[in-house]
Amino acid sequence: MDSGAGESSAADDYESLMSTTDAELLKTAWRNEKAAPEILNFAADLVQRSRQQIQLMEEMVDDYINDGVDPLTVSLYQIDLDRTMFLLRSYLRTRLQKIEKYVFHIQKTAEEWNRLSKQEQKFASRFAGDIKNHLDQSVLSRLPDQYQSHLRQSAASEEDDMVPEPQLDSYVVCRSKKYLGTYQLDDGGEELINIEVDDMYALPYKAIKPLVESGQVDLV
Amino acid sequence: MYGRKASELVKEFASVEHGQVFTFNNDLFAQVLEECDGHLLHLQPLMRKIQEHEDKLKDKSRSQEEIGISEDETSKSQDEKTLIQNALKSDQFGALVHHLSLVRNKRCLMAYVYKRAEVIRSLGWMVDSVLPETIQEKLSTSEKEYFKNHAATLQSYMAELDLHLTVDMIPPKDPYIKVRVLDDIGEIALSDQVANLARHAIMFLRRTDAEQYITQGQMEELTG
Repeated sequence: MDSGAGESSAADDYESLMSTTDAELLKTAWRNEKAAPEILNFAADLVQRSRQQIQLMEEMVDDYINDGVDPLTVSLYQIDLDRTMFLLRSYLRTRLQKIEKYVFHIQKTAEEWNRLSKQEQKFASRFAGDIKNHLDQSVLSRLPDQYQSHLRQSAASEEDDMVPEPQLDSYVVCRSKKYLGTYQLDDGGEELINIEVDDMYALPYKAIKPLVESGQVDLV
Repeated sequence: MYGRKASELVKEFASVEHGQVFTFNNDLFAQVLEECDGHLLHLQPLMRKIQEHEDKLKDKSRSQEEIGISEDETSKSQDEKTLIQNALKSDQFGALVHHLSLVRNKRCLMAYVYKRAEVIRSLGWMVDSVLPETIQEKLSTSEKEYFKNHAATLQSYMAELDLHLTVDMIPPKDPYIKVRVLDDIGEIALSDQVANLARHAIMFLRRTDAEQYITQGQMEELTG
């Protein structure tokens, strides 16, 4: 964003910004995040751009109010601004809630850990500490020695068997952005489906995970 | 029956309407913890016995290999071996029952605390860092502390981002909403005006301004 742009060109900037589809992208990211069972990659660039746009829009709305532009026009821009704000906040909130739900799982899987933003990682670490303390104080410290782990049921368990994990085989509703041809649903190659443009499918998330990540398919 | 109290604890949680807080059941919770200790008391001697049996079995087979013995004695020692093996098995199963009961109790206790923590967190989105007393009373000490810690964690995340996340909980329709003030809030500088929020006043406010008061019950939205 060119910070040197004068006030008079704020409106032009706004028009050009609206023609880019960041608002749409944000909506997609938000919907995907809401529908996917696991945490997705943090849309760092998109969030940063959206925040810049929001700031620009705020300045512009203020200018309009000061310049005495038609209140109806101003309120339309205001609504647009409010909606973008909501999308952004809800997007970040949804991610936090997912982190809260699966924090121990995310912490021990490097791949998922790396999907978080720096701030989210900090949040996750602190959050994990909080909940662990709470569980320790309430339950674990009062149980026999071999049963004090918050990740394992007892010392006899061979792996962490008490960590909530996202259910990747749960079904999601998705819509394809383009024709993808025949797509293999499972590893065995038994089930093949034809993915057409704009058709809706209810499929196990696991099967279409790569398509969601590459942005070829949107979750609804 | 083992594990019944723990299941009652979980059922109690399940029977409450979703998202509601109820009083922490200290009594039952403590009883289940006691039951866990009881299981351990049973478990420990059984584990010792299992060890003894296993040692004995080892001794037997070793002595059999080392010294050649007559057939008569072999069958006798075979009988003894079966006897020990049976005792070993019954002790193993006894231990298993106690172990499984303990694990089950632990899962129930954890579920109880964990699920309550989820509800407490969801409250955090609705009120700002201070819980009303009626709710405070229902929480255990550790839960109160947890709420505070979690609120602080969330605050520091929002501060780093420089973005408030606790407003805008529902998708906006109109930038301004009509509200009735339920409490004497006083003169407040809102984002677009300075307003005197006196009790019973009906006014048009920016939704983002009004939202925090609505969640705290100091305002209500007038619809229709």
